[in-house]
Amino acid sequence: MNKDEMTAWIAAYYDGTLTPEALKAFEKKRKDSNEFDQEVEAYGILFEAITTEEQEVPSKALEANFLKMLEEEKVNQAKVVSIAPERKGWGFGVLKIAASVAVLISIFYLGRYSKFTETQNQITLVERETVEAKQMAMLAMMENQSANKRIQGVQYVEELHEPDPAIIRALAERLQFDENTTVRMAALEALSKFQSSEEVKLVFLKILESEKNPSIQIALIQNLVNMREKKAIKPMQKLLEQEDTQPFIKNEINQALPKII
Amino acid sequence: MAKVAQGDLDVLQILFKRHHLHVFNFLYKMSGDKMLSEDLTQDVFYKVIKYRSSYKNGKFISWLFTIARNSLKTHFTRNKDRHTDLEQVEHRIGEETKNEDYSQLQHALNKLETSDREVIVMNRFQEIRYTEIAEIIGSTEGAVKTKVSRALKKLKTIYLESI
Repeated sequence: MNKDEMTAWIAAYYDGTLTPEALKAFEKKRKDSNEFDQEVEAYGILFEAITTEEQEVPSKALEANFLKMLEEEKVNQAKVVSIAPERKGWGFGVLKIAASVAVLISIFYLGRYSKFTETQNQITLVERETVEAKQMAMLAMMENQSANKRIQGVQYVEELHEPDPAIIRALAERLQFDENTTVRMAALEALSKFQSSEEVKLVFLKILESEKNPSIQIALIQNLVNMREKKAIKPMQKLLEQEDTQPFIKNEINQALPKII
Repeated sequence: MAKVAQGDLDVLQILFKRHHLHVFNFLYKMSGDKMLSEDLTQDVFYKVIKYRSSYKNGKFISWLFTIARNSLKTHFTRNKDRHTDLEQVEHRIGEETKNEDYSQLQHALNKLETSDREVIVMNRFQEIRYTEIAEIIGSTEGAVKTKVSRALKKLKTIYLESI
């Protein structure tokens, strides 16, 4: 018997759970071994202390609180309406799962679509704002005192697909009245990109009638020919008749007129 | 308790009268704090009411003391800034509850490790059998019997030195 078993044996002795045979053996061991007898005595003191240890008693509030909790639970229990789970075939369960999956997928795509639309709207808004900002910058630059800045402003038109009428008017103004020929040429070149614009055609025709700068005259004639603008015939013929018109301009008109007619 | 689980709440009153002193004293012997033990005992019976449907026809004592033991553990885990380890509780009991008037035996118990103290309190003080203690602490009957014997030996040494 090891020490743990010995302790359990002594505990069983004090608990009174030993069988008559075990009790006999226990008593014999006590008589035979003084050491064992002392051990039994020592445990006897401990077990006596445990047995006589007073039980602590909680306050009355504990029971009162418990009864209160129990009453509350009874009230809650009365409120509960038991519903027996409806039993349907496994097919119903599968349908429910399928419906749930369908709803999930729909929500996913709806979310994606609405997010995509929202993003597109934001991109469009930003693009529009960028174009407006560019146009503003362009108009401001065209009024700049520096010819270089004016040219730069005019050249910005190349980045625009559908310029605002205000831009066309500003370019026409540069073409007609700018003191710098390079700026005027740049304005003409910029306007020539919008040949389908009626406003541009009218500007070209108007300027051709009064223009004295040969470079501008040549560029206007070439553009009007490209536009197949029949209204250009009259001002061209007028230039042919004028004595101060340079010979190479007259030559250009002579070559251009058949293409329009 | 099976009746309670089926909805007969009146039986709970009988169970409370029969067991609340054991639960309270177990918690007191473990924590050394009467107020805390009272609060925890209330918590244990609150859980018995709330989770009665989870009772599965085992020994009611095992189920009840498992709840009590978990409540105590949860309490000390939540207050771990004060008690860095559950095993250190015994060293703090004396410091924190100086107002408690402990017996010599309680002083000796307080000096045991928590795991030793709980098996002795359950077995010797609350007279819970080895098989039920094994269920409560998740062990085997044999292991519990050995653990109780070793813990008793330690307690005997500490107690006899103190008197």
